[in-house]
Amino acid sequence: VVDLSDREINAEIIESCRLGDREAFRALYDVYKDRVYSIALYFFHGDHAVASDLTQQVFLKLMTSIGQFRGDAAFPTWLYRLVVNACLDVARRRTADALIAAASPRAAFAGQDSQEEAYARAQRANSVRAAISTLPRKFRIAVLLRYFDDLSYEEMAKALDCSMGTVASRLSRGHKMLAERLKNVNGPKG
Amino acid sequence: MTMWTRHVSGTLAAYVDGALTPRAAQQIEFHLGQCTRCRADYEHVRSGMAMVEDLPSIEAPDAVWAAIEAKLRDRRPTRVPALRSWRLVFAATVLVALVGAATWRLAHPPGTRWEVRRLEGSPAAGARSISGVGRVGIGEWIETNSGSRAIVTIGEIGSVEIASNTRVRVLATRSDEHRLALARGEIRATISAPPRLFFVDTASGTAVDLGCEYSLNTDEDGVGLLRVTKGWVAFQWNGLESLVPAGASCPTRPRMGPGLPYFDDATEAMKQALARFGLEKGENSALNVILAESRVRDTLTLWHLLSRVDVGDRARVFDRIASLTPVPVGVSRENVLTLDANTLTRWREELAWTW
Repeated sequence: VVDLSDREINAEIIESCRLGDREAFRALYDVYKDRVYSIALYFFHGDHAVASDLTQQVFLKLMTSIGQFRGDAAFPTWLYRLVVNACLDVARRRTADALIAAASPRAAFAGQDSQEEAYARAQRANSVRAAISTLPRKFRIAVLLRYFDDLSYEEMAKALDCSMGTVASRLSRGHKMLAERLKNVNGPKG
Repeated sequence: MTMWTRHVSGTLAAYVDGALTPRAAQQIEFHLGQCTRCRADYEHVRSGMAMVEDLPSIEAPDAVWAAIEAKLRDRRPTRVPALRSWRLVFAATVLVALVGAATWRLAHPPGTRWEVRRLEGSPAAGARSISGVGRVGIGEWIETNSGSRAIVTIGEIGSVEIASNTRVRVLATRSDEHRLALARGEIRATISAPPRLFFVDTASGTAVDLGCEYSLNTDEDGVGLLRVTKGWVAFQWNGLESLVPAGASCPTRPRMGPGLPYFDDATEAMKQALARFGLEKGENSALNVILAESRVRDTLTLWHLLSRVDVGDRARVFDRIASLTPVPVGVSRENVLTLDANTLTRWREELAWTW
């Protein structure tokens, strides 16, 4: 399996994928798999089964529709468009998602105080994940997209199918909501 | 109101990320100097971004690629013929179907035999001693003595190394069920496939592969140990299940099925208490040690313990987990104490972040 960074995903690799070259597709998969999986996992509040299914679905869709990729946008933009659509489609079908979003996040964080750093670390990570899962879906996916790849606002706008101004607005509001919901959680020490 | 005094909350993320033109950034800086409300929002946006920085990237499991490959294999024959005449299309389709079926049969004959390769000494496969490579089919045994070892290829999904003094029987070789019986000894499985395609039966239960690498040893009575080095394995017996992640082990015992899984780096005191738990009267002393010695990641053990103790002890286990890591939204004490399946699953998914 070829080891490539995302910057080395070039027209030749894409063309090889178009021609059905399995090794090129595997190279593409290796570069992006963890980012796609992580976005799905955090979007669906740690549900590994859904994240696995979604990652599989995205790459299969990528493989079968790569012929439609015309190269007029950066490849990551096109890939993340698939990820965004898949996350939002699956979320619409999942009632559990609505249940989590409806719950008060304070219930998860209140009254937990400990001197142990291990506990504090677990609490922080747990709280951030829980707070992300309570964000409105469009804010949540924007926050995750910004964090897991180094996309420009223009690329994020294409992936999210909205204007750059809307991207900025969703990121501003999403991060502000996170901070408000996490105000009782201490930041990392040191 | 001019653009210099308009609130800038909606563009603060772009400002923090340096995604604005120098002039737009300058305007925001000017506004922040004047407006306490936007300054507070700015602090919130920055703080929110810093919080997200703590999230680790999570590695996609190997099983995802295996599932993609399986799907791509299934799709490969579906090519659209470029022939115009429907008669020719029909004839070509029939031909493709016949050739495809023949190819499939050649690749996946009923009762596929798996390749066994000698690693050391003279292992036996299907009652024949092998010096190089042999094959085994359903119902046949692979046996090693104190001086021999072998490795068997499990269809297209992985391999199993057979250690010395081991007896293994092939039970199923279908693409949707690969199954071995481990009568005694030790195996090391390396599987890259979607979950629940590879099974190993022992006298005390069945190891179900969830996409992983693991070793499993047992004596003829079923006393043994499952140790997972990558991914996850479920060990099942009679409706009882232990889920074992990488870095953890799980004892197996006859007529009791899977024991409590524990991380290999747990304290010795905890491991000794786990060995005593379930085997002796007056289990309270063992339980006390288990609870006292548990760290955050030992919630793996505690979560499994919930369904294996009575309701009084269950409350103690709940309280101990809650003292180690926050109880997530949607998990109530009451539902845990009544062993509500959805609640336990929800909690496990949350706790698994620390496992």
